[in-house]
Parts: sequence; structure tokens; C-alpha cells
Amino acid sequence: MSRLESAKALDEWRRSLRASRCAGRRICVCGGPGCLAAGSADVHRALVAASQKASFAVDVCLDVVRTGCQGLCQQGVLVTLQPQGTLYCAVQPDDAEEIVDAFLQGRAVERLLYRDRARSVEDVQDVPFYLRQEKHVLARCGLIDPYSLDDYVVQGGYEGLARALCLESETVLERIVRARLRGRGGGGFPAGRKWEACRRASGDPKYVLANGDEGDPGAFMDRSLMEGDPHSLLEGMVIGAYAIGASKGFIYVRNEYPLAVKTLQRALEAAREKGLLGKDVLGSGFSFDVEVCRGGGAFVCGESTALMASIEGRPGTPRVKYIRSSERGLWESPTVLNNVETWANVPLILSRGVDWFLSLGTEGSPGTKVFSLVGKVKNTGLVEVPMGMTLREIIFDVGGGMPKGRRFKAVQTGGPSGGCLPEASLDLPVDFDSLNEAGSIMGSGGMIVMDDRTCMVDVARYFVSFLVEESCGKCTPCREGLRQMKTILDDLSSGRGRPGDAELLRSLAENLRDTALCGLGQSAANPVLSTLRYFPEEYAEHEAGFCRSGVCRDLFRFVVDGDSCRGCGLCASTCPVGAVSGEKGRAHVIDQDRCIRCGKCCEACIFEAIVVGEVTS
Amino acid sequence: MDRDALGAILEVYDREERFLLPILQDIQERFRHLPREALTETARYLAVPESRVFAVATFYKAFSFTPKGRKPIKVCMGTACHLRGASTLLEELERELDLSVGKTTSDGQFSLETVNCLGACALAPVFTVEDRVYGKAEGRLAEILERERKS
Amino acid sequence: MITLIINGLKVTVPEGTTILEAARRLDVEIPTLCHHEGLSPQGSCRLCMVEIEQRGRRRLVASCMFPVAEGLVVETETETVAGARRFVLGLLRDRCPRSEEIAALAARYGAKPFGRLPLGERDLCIHCDRCVRACEEEATGCIAFSFRGWARRVEGPFGEAPADCIGCGACAQVCPTGFIAVEEEGGMRKIWGKSFELLRCSACGKPFATREELVFQGLDEGDLLCDRCRKREFAASFTRGVR
Repeated sequence: MSRLESAKALDEWRRSLRASRCAGRRICVCGGPGCLAAGSADVHRALVAASQKASFAVDVCLDVVRTGCQGLCQQGVLVTLQPQGTLYCAVQPDDAEEIVDAFLQGRAVERLLYRDRARSVEDVQDVPFYLRQEKHVLARCGLIDPYSLDDYVVQGGYEGLARALCLESETVLERIVRARLRGRGGGGFPAGRKWEACRRASGDPKYVLANGDEGDPGAFMDRSLMEGDPHSLLEGMVIGAYAIGASKGFIYVRNEYPLAVKTLQRALEAAREKGLLGKDVLGSGFSFDVEVCRGGGAFVCGESTALMASIEGRPGTPRVKYIRSSERGLWESPTVLNNVETWANVPLILSRGVDWFLSLGTEGSPGTKVFSLVGKVKNTGLVEVPMGMTLREIIFDVGGGMPKGRRFKAVQTGGPSGGCLPEASLDLPVDFDSLNEAGSIMGSGGMIVMDDRTCMVDVARYFVSFLVEESCGKCTPCREGLRQMKTILDDLSSGRGRPGDAELLRSLAENLRDTALCGLGQSAANPVLSTLRYFPEEYAEHEAGFCRSGVCRDLFRFVVDGDSCRGCGLCASTCPVGAVSGEKGRAHVIDQDRCIRCGKCCEACIFEAIVVGEVTS
Repeated sequence: MDRDALGAILEVYDREERFLLPILQDIQERFRHLPREALTETARYLAVPESRVFAVATFYKAFSFTPKGRKPIKVCMGTACHLRGASTLLEELERELDLSVGKTTSDGQFSLETVNCLGACALAPVFTVEDRVYGKAEGRLAEILERERKS
Repeated sequence: MITLIINGLKVTVPEGTTILEAARRLDVEIPTLCHHEGLSPQGSCRLCMVEIEQRGRRRLVASCMFPVAEGLVVETETETVAGARRFVLGLLRDRCPRSEEIAALAARYGAKPFGRLPLGERDLCIHCDRCVRACEEEATGCIAFSFRGWARRVEGPFGEAPADCIGCGACAQVCPTGFIAVEEEGGMRKIWGKSFELLRCSACGKPFATREELVFQGLDEGDLLCDRCRKREFAASFTRGVR
């Protein structure tokens, strides 16, 4: 079919697509980052082969598609059957024929179902991990083939755009303002206010940009969206451009995401072909096009002015921005930059209405938020919950809590710009303002759970080392200050700490926060300040030469608690250097000269008999 | 350096400053590093100072001046991997390959580098060889590398 | 025109003026390093931070770039400002322990080094970017910052003598710490590892510019006047005209 010349033509096309779909029977193989790593390409191939073989035998039509992230990465490779919604976990290529056969016979393969306390759960909606989620932004992710515009349209895609184009552009803007949509990239700045300022600013052309430079380690929300549902981002950008009066857009994608680049480029082509992008969008007279830019591997390019410098072909060094990008941004033109997830919210607000959007989340932070829940938690994965859900609900209800035998210590949000919150903060509602007050930030959505075997000084050192590598080096506080902070943290975690180090660290961090040029430097203090605030005792112990968590190798030793040890020998068999010895049934001992403090024995012990002790000279 | 290959890369792009980064990316992909003549040629093609090209080439982590291996190995240093022992994994890889980070084996097959997050946190700690992802691979390293050497 | 208050004093300046410029009109002293009147501002050294109050919120801003606004209240001598100065100068003391200029500023503002940097080669470069801007704005842009973060350094492409350098010395002239070495001897100028022949002024006979510089500025060699002689010439022609 050729270009769509009107909103009506889009509607008709959607209807004809829906009618022509065969009974809707589909096998969806997750192609998200986690499942890809677990071998989903092979599973997909095997399922395609199996379904072809089956359809020769019986005359049925069975679609096998590779989708974006289905969420429960921990259990990959995931396969969902539609329309039933049966979820299979940890699928191997060898399972393909059995899955297809069972599907055609209308039954489930029991052994592949999700198991919750010895009970197998058939419907994906009943899996506890999904139960408390509300998937709107991610609604199509994991359900559709990201390469297929047809799939997107069948699921209601581009409806928001069609509605927007029937309205005056001011009205579209007004709806975004009224929906109080806040930037999902971290800061939470009201998107509508940005758009308004840009629309008002004089200067031509105007640009809209999508920030897909998701650099926070442990975050893969934007990647999942770009790879799993690219059109939702595009649709949001076209609507935004219409509201603002922009003619050109750029999507800046992190260098490490080649699949996102490829998926977006295919989406752009498909949208252009259909007249959903390019000249005269849906016959409305409005023209707008988008280009994909690939980053070069620099975390700082997630900062707005650095991102713009990078698109312009220069090193990604931020500029002082006392004049907002909405007035003077890319090539000095008025520019709106929003994060990928923010853009993906826009079509929903147009198609389902402002009131619907306001009914989700909290007063100050309406809508939902996507998180990547990782670290020491049972269900690692991609989740979407209404704003205002507490950290405890996300970590323990959705995430299933700590792995066996471990205790919760902290949760890190906001990546290197965020902070670590302790157990006492678990009942905080997750919204922009509450997290800020607690000394962290919402960030783009990385949520890293830490247990009692995580050292908070080491965590601070990890983020500061990361930032030392990623600082652009333009301003004095960030270039020089971070380097000094890193040295102090290195000293603390290697036994060279001095009394007063924690205080010196605090003073450096506070000054850095107040004087750095850009957001990266200003927020770089957060991991240090938040750990100092909530875990001062660990800093004090490190100054004195002890690491209670058993992480900083020079500051502790593993010892066997003779009363708890049953002499099962599990520790001895896991030790990579043969440092544990003992008779069967008797308490074992660790040879301290041989021990490399890797902690494998401690993890292996089921009686919690291997404990962290102080170094005695 | 293969001048025709460079010419083929350049002619895809208009002579605009903003294409400096994509051009360098194409060069890096084709030659597995940035040959010096290619940078000089790029500066001339885009009419930007050579100093600018060098600044961009050294600022971004994606570029290198010595050839990367045919099979680059990337070890994820993301937070989840860090918590689950990425540094131990890196040490083990260094030992197995007899190679330090940033270097390439003498036969040009493997190079070792670290990356910030691969988004495969469920399998932490992870590393990739080309586009193949290996997770929770402690104890299987020698076997994986052996297979990679032969394939 | 815009009226603002600096340290309790009212000052009225044209729109687009920076706080630093406005403060200098009042003879209020604000220390700077990366700022240079002849160059575009970039606000990177963070030494010129001052405290402002806007919509009830107080914060530090770089005075060399912050544009004045009606009713803006600026303080340049609060404890917060002093702390920021001590922080920046303390960091630079550690980075450039041999720089007399930084030592003098640090002494003036009571800053001490923190002393926790790893050992290593230290030079006089404080990364103020004045040389790079001077070269970009006045000459060929042959030097730039390469690498990033801690390892960032100003140099020619590939760390070598920059082929496009015209030996004008603008970079050295604006360098606040003397990091960029320029030597003039026997009618030659040495800079960035290159040697340039200096041409003599046809009026006073002093060596004053390189041939490459004249070519870059589009002047021909028949017109060899140094700056001082050119001014004198101009003044003379002016007075002749009046008569």
C-alpha cells in the first residue's frame, strides 16, 4: 500500500490490517538485551523451523516473531504465546518442537512455565513480577515485531499522531502542559514548559532531539524501547515537532547500541514510505524528518549541551547554559531535547487523553516510569510501574526481593548522578521530588539493588572512578576534584585511609556539586554524599582499616565460624586456590596466606559459617 | 592504507562538519583503527582543522589508534556486573589471554577492552566476543576462548 | 538598560552585559583565569563564581558568562563565594605546583592544596583554554585539546608540531601561566616545536611578525609595519589631515 494521505486513510489501513490477521496466533520470542545474551536468536530460528514443519502437516498459520524486551530478563530466553498470554521461561532451541505441538493442540508445556513456589503459572499476567506492573509505555514492547510498522499500527500506533494533526498545534502543546509530563531522563523538568519556550523562541529552523545516549551503567530502558518499539519514539517526536513548529529531528543513540540504530533506521524508512514522516505528514501540510546519530562512546554526551556539540561534529564538551537550549540549542537554534521514554509517553497522552494520564501516578509526577531492576535481586528485569509506588514494592513485590540468604542494604537510583538509599528509605514513594529530597535522583530509571555483601565505600569508589574516566575535563572542579576524590577513595579501600578522609571527601564533594559547569559534574557528588549520609559507619571503619562487607580485599579476611560449620566441604570444593581445608564433618579452616578473598566460599556456604573478620597483624 | 576504501567512505557524506563523527566511525569499522593518513584526508575533505579531527578522535572511546583485534572482547563494567565480580572476571580474562586491557594479541585475533554497560545485567558478569554475549561464565573461560580461537 | 545590585550597590548596564563586566564598572574585584577580554567567554575555570539570588533561590554562577537581569542581586564576597574560590585554587595548586601565578592567587584568597593527587609529571597548564580560543578566533585553529578528563591536553594534531601554525604567538600571549613556550632569538621565533623567521618593521627595524602571519592576514610584504609604527603612522596621517 502506498502513502497515507489522511488520518482517515490510516484508520482504514489499520482496520484492513486487523481483518487480514490470521486468528492472531503468534509465538513471540524475546529479543531484548538479556534474552539475546541468553541465546534468543537460536531459539527463534528453531521455533521458525518447527512451526514451518508443523504447518506443512496441519494447515494452520502460525507467526513466529522476534520482539523487544518482555521484561523478566532473569528467566530468559522468554517466549510468550499470543493471544493466550502463556509465558515460557528459560527456553532452549531443543524445546521448539514441543512448544509448537502443544500450542497447536491448545495445551501448555508444563515444565517451561514460570514457577512460583512450586506452583506453575500459566498466564503471564499472573506471574508476580508482572502482577503489580502497569505497562503503558512498554505495552507493545515484547508484543510486536519491532521491524514491522504493520504490527505497530494494528496495536493502535500512530493514532496519537492522527489525533494531534486534527488539532491546532497550540492545542497539542496545551495538552502536554496540562498532562504535566515530566522529563524521564532524570531531571524531571516539565516537558510542556520546554516545548512552550521553544515554540515562542524566535529562530529558524527549530529542532527536536531524542536523547538515547543511555549511559548509566545498569540501565537499559531506552535501549529496550528503541529496540522493541521504535515507532512510539518516532510518533512522539512527530507530535512534538508539530506542537513546537520544528522541521527537523535527531535521535542520538549510544555507541554501544548498534541494534537500536538499525531498528530505528528501519522504522524511519517505513514511516517515510507511509507518509507518517517526511513531507506533508498524513496529508496535513506539516513536514518533518528525523535522522539517527550514533554516539562515539562518551557518557557526558547524555548532557544536553554536550549531546548537541556531538551532533555538530565536535568533542562532547558541555557549554555553560545560562541561556536555555529552547532558545539557543543545536547550531544556536531553538531546540527541544527530551529523553526517549518522555517522547514515548507523548502519543499516549494524545490518544488516551490528558485525564487518563493524570489518573496514573502522583499529583506531582503523573504517569508511569520504566525501570531496569538489577543487582542483587531475584527478578532482574525491565519494569513499568505507576509513579508513587514505593521502593519496597518495586524491589520486593515486583523484583521478588533478595536472593536467598542475603540481606538488603541499599538501592542505587540514577546511576553515577544518583545516590544510594538505605533500608529506612524503602517506603519512599518513587517520584521525582521524593527521591531528590532523600539525596538521590529518579534518573533515567536504573535501579540497582545492593545486599550486605556490597561495600558502600567501594560503590562510591566505583562511581567516582567511572566519572573520572568520563569527565570531559573542561572545568576545574570536575577534572581536578574528581581525581582527588578518587585517590582518597582508593586509599580508603586499600588500607591507606587516614583519619579525616571522610570529612575531606564530603567537603570536596559539596564544592564540586556547587561549582561544576554541567550536570555531570554537579551530580557527580551524589554517590559520595549519599553514602556518606546513610553509611557513615562504613567510612569510619575504612579509615581504621576494616571492610565489614568483605569487598575491599586488604581490609578483611574470611574466617570459618567453628560453631556453625558442619564440615560439608562445599566451600573447599568451590575455592579456586585451594585455601580451604578440613576433615569431612569437622569445622574447616582457611589458609589466609593462600586466600585471595574472592568470596566464593562465603557464597557457597549454606550454613552462613564463613564470616568476615578483621585483619589482625 | 587502502585509499579506495577511504574514498568510498568519504563520498557517502556531504562535506559538512557534522559528519566528522560518522566518518570516523566508518573508518574505525573498516580499518579496525584510525590510520593517520585517513584523519588527514578527512580533515581535508571536510575542510576542518586537523587539530579538530584529532580532538574528536581522541575524545570518544569508540576510536583507537592501534588496530583492534578481529574479535574484540568487551568486558562489561556496569554496576550490576561490578557487584557480581566483573573485576575478577577481567583479571581471569587477562590471565587466560595473557593480555592487558587496551591491547591486542600478537596474532591480531583478540583485543581486550572494558565497556560501561551492555544491558545484559541479568547475566552479570558478562563479556562479549564480537556480538556473542557470555554471561555467568566463571569457570568456563578457557573453554569459551578455545572455541572462539578455532571458529 | 538593566539595573542590578552588586554587593548592595546599584549599577545600570546595557542588556547582554555579564555580571563580571558590571562588577568591574563598580570596581568590584572578581578573580578570573579563563576569562580574557579579547576572547569569547567559556566559564570553565570556575574561579569567577559569585552568588546570586533569583526567585528566592541562592546559587553560585560563573560571573564571566551570566547575563545581567533586572533586579538581580549579586554577592561577590560571601563565605560561599570564598569557599568556592579556595576550592578551585586549591585544586589548581595541586595540579600546577610550580606556577607562581596560581601560588600568588592562592595566597591572596587563602587557598591551600588538598595534597591528594597521585604523583606524576606536572606542567604549568591550568586548562583555561585561552590559547585554543585565541588560535581558533585569531589564527588557524592549529592547536586543540586532545583526549579528555584528567588526560586532556593542549597540543598539535597527533601530539606533533602543528603543520598549520603560523607562529603568531597569540596562544602564548594569552596564556596566564607561561605554559606555552615561545623563544625569540637572532630574528627567529620558536614555538610549538617550529621555527619561524621574523620579518623586520620597515620603519623601526624591529623584528615583529612571521611571514606566515602576514600571508594569513592577507597583507603583502611591502607593508611591513609593526603595530607601534602603524599606530604612529596612523596618528600622523590623522593630524596631517586636520591641518
